[in-house]
Amino acid sequence: MNIQMMFMQLVKGMGSSIEIFILTLLFALPLGLILSFGRMSHKSLVQVISKFYISVMRGTPLMLQLIVVYFAPYYVFKIQISSGYRFTAVIIAFVLNYAAYFAEIYRAGIESIPVGQYEAAKVLGYSRAQTFVKIILPQVIKRILPPVTNETITLVKDTSLAFVLAEAEMFTIAKQIAARETSIMPLMAAGVFYYVFNLAVAGFMEYLERRLNYYR
Amino acid sequence: MMKKFMALICMAAMTAGMLAGCGSKAETASPAAEGGASDNTFVVGFDAEFPPYGSMDENGEYVGFDLDLAKEVCARRGWEFVAQPIDWDSKDMELNSGSIDCIWNGFTIQGREDAYTWSVPYVDNSQVFVVPTESGIASQADLEGKVVGVQKDSSALAALEGDAADLAAGFSALQQYGDYNVAFMDLEQGAIDALAIDIGVAKYQINSRGEGFVILEEQLASEQYGIGFKLGNESLRDQVEETLMEMVEDGTFMKIAEQYSDFGLTDSICLGK
Repeated sequence: MNIQMMFMQLVKGMGSSIEIFILTLLFALPLGLILSFGRMSHKSLVQVISKFYISVMRGTPLMLQLIVVYFAPYYVFKIQISSGYRFTAVIIAFVLNYAAYFAEIYRAGIESIPVGQYEAAKVLGYSRAQTFVKIILPQVIKRILPPVTNETITLVKDTSLAFVLAEAEMFTIAKQIAARETSIMPLMAAGVFYYVFNLAVAGFMEYLERRLNYYR
Repeated sequence: MMKKFMALICMAAMTAGMLAGCGSKAETASPAAEGGASDNTFVVGFDAEFPPYGSMDENGEYVGFDLDLAKEVCARRGWEFVAQPIDWDSKDMELNSGSIDCIWNGFTIQGREDAYTWSVPYVDNSQVFVVPTESGIASQADLEGKVVGVQKDSSALAALEGDAADLAAGFSALQQYGDYNVAFMDLEQGAIDALAIDIGVAKYQINSRGEGFVILEEQLASEQYGIGFKLGNESLRDQVEETLMEMVEDGTFMKIAEQYSDFGLTDSICLGK
């Protein structure tokens, strides 16, 4: 088969990888923020639950989580699934896992803001919600961008783990092409694709950092 | 206040997510898994890294001897054919959870008789050893003290752990691989001395890689391929088998096998000869 065909198939797989990437960020970023509130909560029950959740999600392999999310409905709850659930399961597992990492990044950002700012906001008559949204969050976002970039780049590469559920993302496709061609070339080509994808992601994050650098 | 609100959102989001997941499952669950293919889709689970029985072709379509047969069965039955690649390690979980209706992919019956509801055998397969031509290995006796590769959870592995355990005891190591492509690359670069493999797959690999490998005359095991359905799903099995036998009688089965004659399938099929 010619290079062009292989390229086309990898592009198709790449589409699926990008879909996983975008959907995961879309849900994991907000969920992570909510989770970080739970983690910093003064109610000990909420805090303990959040801490436990984070420790489980960070402490077990993502590959295992993918398998659990996909197969638990049937093996635990006896719900018959269809093949359409495959992609949903991939997204759920990625979101649950990445939210845990993002939560800790948010926490680091939020706790790095001096208490004095809260006190000053209170004196100026800001409500707690206003303080957070108008004063704290904008600073937090600026501070956490570098670790978020780290996580995002890892996510691009982690999408390849969806192969354990045979979701047709790029790595799965590359492996299948490699099997047909009995060659390792398709895997190398997939590596180039991942690299280019990450170059774009890193470039975009750098641009964001520059845009948000308005006080310097 | 803020925290309670956030906690609420959190709960709502997670519940919604779970409900959405379950909801779509319930709606699209294939009744075929329970009996006949009454929702008109027939989902065939297969390993897409297992040519010539199932693999991706140059246009990105899934093809192979088994998939071509399945497609023809669906066309005759008026079912919609869905080829669903699966991870071979998860085949039982996929079948039991209903995400696929059958496993049709060079699937060996021997040793799994009681684990699935089987169709009639349609291919006589054998497990063989592939060695590099210049290795000087000419018989199974020469494998003494060598490193031998095998695919995990394959029939070759089952044979080496069962009937041929004595032979396997003489190997210096038995290396298990996830897929044959990697295993063959390892054989090519000399990290292993021999590879235990299905004969059809061996012929495909040698055909594609060119010279340099030979198949040992002496077979490791012989066995048969069948279509595996979820245990107890006789009604779907009977429907598929009925159509398959029709295809055998009118010669379509043989015609499909001829397309794969390069890999020895015309010799190894055991129906319609």
